[in-house]
Amino acid sequence: MFKSTILYSVIAVILTVLVCFIISTLLPGIERKYVHARIQQRIGPPVTSPGIMAPIKFLFKENVEVSSPVPGLYKALPIVCFIVVLCVLIALTPYSFAIPALSSLVAIVGFLKVEEICYVLMGALSKSVMSVKMPFPDVVKGAAHLNTTRSFIEDISARRSLRMITYGSFPLYLALFAPVTAARSIFLQDIVQYQHVHGPFLFTISGGIAAIVFFIGYMIVLNEYPFSIIKAKCDVIEGPYMEYAAKYRSIIFITRGFLMFTLGALFSVLFIGIPPNILSPSILINIVVTLIFVLMMGIFSAFTPVFTNRQLLPSILGATLLGILAIVLGLL
Amino acid sequence: MDEKVPRSNIIETEIPLGTVHPAALEPYRVRLFVEDEIVQEAEITIGVNHRGIERIMEGLPVEKANSLTEKICGICSNSHVWNSCRTAEIGLDIEIPERARYIRVIMGELERLHSHFLYLAHGCETVAHETFSMRVFYLREIVMELLAMIGGNRVQYGCSVLGGVRPRCDLDEAKLERLKTDMDKIEEGLNGFAQRFLADSILISRVTGVGVIPQKQAIKLAVTGPTLRATGVARDLRTTMFEYDDFDYNIITQADGDVKSNLLMRVLESFESIKIIRQAIANLPEGSLVNRDWEMFDTDIIESYIEVPRGTLYHSYALESGRVRHCIIRTPSMANIGAMQYACIGDHITDAQLSIVQCDPCFTCTDRAIEIIRR
Amino acid sequence: MGIKSFSRARAIHIMLVYTGGCNGCDIEIVNAVLSPRFDAEQYKVFLTWNPREADVLVVTGPVTHLNRKPLEAIYEAIPEPKLVVAAGSCALMGGVYKNIHGDIPSEEIEGPVENVIPVAAKVPGCAVRPQDVLAGVVSLLPTLLNAD
Repeated sequence: MFKSTILYSVIAVILTVLVCFIISTLLPGIERKYVHARIQQRIGPPVTSPGIMAPIKFLFKENVEVSSPVPGLYKALPIVCFIVVLCVLIALTPYSFAIPALSSLVAIVGFLKVEEICYVLMGALSKSVMSVKMPFPDVVKGAAHLNTTRSFIEDISARRSLRMITYGSFPLYLALFAPVTAARSIFLQDIVQYQHVHGPFLFTISGGIAAIVFFIGYMIVLNEYPFSIIKAKCDVIEGPYMEYAAKYRSIIFITRGFLMFTLGALFSVLFIGIPPNILSPSILINIVVTLIFVLMMGIFSAFTPVFTNRQLLPSILGATLLGILAIVLGLL
Repeated sequence: MDEKVPRSNIIETEIPLGTVHPAALEPYRVRLFVEDEIVQEAEITIGVNHRGIERIMEGLPVEKANSLTEKICGICSNSHVWNSCRTAEIGLDIEIPERARYIRVIMGELERLHSHFLYLAHGCETVAHETFSMRVFYLREIVMELLAMIGGNRVQYGCSVLGGVRPRCDLDEAKLERLKTDMDKIEEGLNGFAQRFLADSILISRVTGVGVIPQKQAIKLAVTGPTLRATGVARDLRTTMFEYDDFDYNIITQADGDVKSNLLMRVLESFESIKIIRQAIANLPEGSLVNRDWEMFDTDIIESYIEVPRGTLYHSYALESGRVRHCIIRTPSMANIGAMQYACIGDHITDAQLSIVQCDPCFTCTDRAIEIIRR
Repeated sequence: MGIKSFSRARAIHIMLVYTGGCNGCDIEIVNAVLSPRFDAEQYKVFLTWNPREADVLVVTGPVTHLNRKPLEAIYEAIPEPKLVVAAGSCALMGGVYKNIHGDIPSEEIEGPVENVIPVAAKVPGCAVRPQDVLAGVVSLLPTLLNAD
């Protein structure tokens, strides 16, 4: 009996993850075609191109030697990122509520932190051809400052991601802990049960404010414009991802869509109280919530330029204060 | 406004960008010397697209040399042909028919529109505001079609020949009608863009106070063109050119010299260009297109300055038995490189390319006569 | 058509390298891919600035002396299968800059692009028209799809 329950749960989790994964591959395409392209008055790419076809294409490319001081670690990082996102999604399914260590907010925050640390390592280990290594005679007689240390553009983006760890992702974590104040527990099971009894946390004052903070944090964690300073096109081109080619790049592409879905699912668990479960029709709500998030993010990012520290600090500070307000209101 | 001083003593690291970079539309190398992500000094290395046009022009028949100047730059190609012809016309005392003069002005102003729109689109692209950039590109497409209609090509559309304009560039009724309606379309689109741009407080806060060039410094660095006018100096060579005598237009200036005033400067100047084109369409005189009644003789070195979209363009050569001698071309970006390096100082690295872009660089124009020493 | 060719036909990343032309081709190509008028993304062509991501390298300009090594470095950074489109008459035969004064070639110009890296498609024009660039990239499709 016990054995069959476990087997049944494992199959349900795998099915849930699979369905979520398939939907998540469509998300970048939806953002690109139905939001960005519509706003920019053009037709845009097919929905499947950015999220599904591009990763498959990269799978069949030659696996080039990456230029990095530690190629092994550098190549392992996208896989780590993917596994981390997978773990977060598994932790959100109702079957894992039986394992309290996995299905608590502390574990989820920990997983997301690993993801952010991966960006720092990626940036620090990538040595792309586009900056210092470009064979161009610029340090020559007559040039200014001949003996400075020379940095790759990825080094800047590694530093920026370090900063984002220290203060950038604050709003998201504050928003994650807002429902805790209502449910008085950090375990997802208790949060979901509390909302089954008292109605969705989203529709309280504290929950409403926390949802806004969550959305800002969502954009920061996804590095979408305007918070995409670690991969701003106007200086660091693609930042940490510069050197990934072939299948590693395809994992990067997939992880991004998957993270979009996972964070959307996280929102529906914490603020609406509906965990993603393939065996219940409520998974449709998860999908709808995720789509709303993607559409909102697309609209927001299409109308904003990239922020530098001058705008980033006040906006993150404002979001953090809002998050604190939400928590205080929840505690009262 | 305080003068920004390069602080070379606290450089932490150097970040080279280029020669291929998304924020730059042409090959050049820029080395940014930074301290804590703030640029303390910048060095732009050009010479990457040096092709030696002046050397090629040397000894060519003047008609051939004129058409070669078109290939100096893909953005202001018409201005180069215009000024090159103008140089010879000054030297040989060639009278240009009224109609040809008007058509040249129309082409010049259309080119100013397309160059300014490119600047706006590229500027918005550099602050990563894709939507605005796309909208300006869409507007620019109308101008490109007009240029293709008159000049026959989307990019190298120069219309001047010695003594007038090419017969292909004549404007008949249908073309004038299309010009007229398209000017309305452009004005409407530009109005919409300007309103949205000014109402977008996020974008405005992003570009205000970035890449400041104080007026004093701009004069010291001999900055030309809209970049100079954006610092508050009302200096426009169009006022000294006889071609523009018949037209009524304002010289736009802005006060601050930062990216915002530069962007606004381009928008407001585009409105003035539309005004000039409308006047030219309304008063387009009848007559011949080209004056072939002139004689070739040897001349001393002739000089001609005109105002092109990006600043002051200088052409100079002597004629010797119908061939070009001692050719010198000085383009606006040459003077503005100092300003580009200066504008970067004190800004975030993300703004560095924006500060360079705000001076409207055109290094393909600029790279010609610099001698490259091979090692 | 296998999944390999199928996916390749639906996501083509092109990278633009300018090697010292007159700027006209560069702007036309960026214009072709970026502006809503031509919008290459509807034909599944995406513009990228990272050589590791690119499939097709579009080269403009006559390859000046200082640009030879950067061009080679970028070409080497692109993973196989990769193809090069030479766009514009400068990239095809050196343009007006290469063949000066009859037989005397200019020393500044290393091009045409063929002399530096292998070229798969040539797009003529001075400057190239956006439609032609798209046609050039599309003409490469059979080669790209059937590559290993």
